[in-house]
Amino acid sequence: MIRFNRVPSLLWAAAVLAGTLLPLRSFADDQDVRDYRSHVMKSMGEQLAALNQIVTGKAPAADASVHAQALRITAGLAKVAFTEKVPGGESKPEVWARWDDFSKRLDDMVAAADDLARTARQGGVAAVAPKLNALGCQGCHGEYLVQKK
Amino acid sequence: MSRVIRAVAVSVMMWLPMAGHADNKDVVDYRQHIMKSMEQETAALGQILSGAGPADNTVAHMEAIALMASIALKSFEPKVPGGAAKPQVWKDWADFSRRMQEFADKSADMAKTGREQGAEQAAMKVIEALPCKGCHDVYRDEKKIEPGVSK
Repeated sequence: MIRFNRVPSLLWAAAVLAGTLLPLRSFADDQDVRDYRSHVMKSMGEQLAALNQIVTGKAPAADASVHAQALRITAGLAKVAFTEKVPGGESKPEVWARWDDFSKRLDDMVAAADDLARTARQGGVAAVAPKLNALGCQGCHGEYLVQKK
Repeated sequence: MSRVIRAVAVSVMMWLPMAGHADNKDVVDYRQHIMKSMEQETAALGQILSGAGPADNTVAHMEAIALMASIALKSFEPKVPGGAAKPQVWKDWADFSRRMQEFADKSADMAKTGREQGAEQAAMKVIEALPCKGCHDVYRDEKKIEPGVSK
């Protein structure tokens, strides 16, 4: 026979236990997740565009290191931005369906951005140019970014 | 002959500073990349500070903002109206440049505080370090802002 007077305390204990096991969510809702990763990716896009201008002589070479550093910082945030499985925005569902590949590409991008920042500090603009492709943006976008028509 | 050589040398020297900026559109594009990057970073930071983003990333965004702020003023030095920049930028250059320099200094201080004392301490400096709206109200043409960009 169920002792009804014990049920509420058991439910309460289960709720507390579940609460301690659940990871604390950083985002208030799914749209926040999409917005945040959009901010991170767009910021990187602007850095890359600025660097492309610099290596083609259309912007001050002296700023290369600053942009490379900013890119390195933001690249390091991308994985966190995509860890929450929230499809939508410009992310294809393949991001999470093929998480091993996608997350490896992000790790590779961070390493490449690190190398780029180091190169920009030490080698100047000429050394930076060949490193931009190593970031792998196009290849990853081809697989995982919803292409605008 | 020496006069011709001198004239050619002077012409080349006048042209050389322009070599880094192929044309006026490049100047406008470049400063927009800087400003838009800052916009995205401050939007991300704003999410975090309102509890809608990963708190562990707070200082990283502050650092990215400070980096862009450190080169933003220089990107407006070529007097090339266009984009969302009102002509007031160059008409009131003393005021505009003072605001941008303060922004660079305070955002650098905010980021430094974040690195050395943690995000909570740095967060107390956010309002003073990011007076974006005040400057935008005076110097940015809101009609030329692309949809989706925060005001």
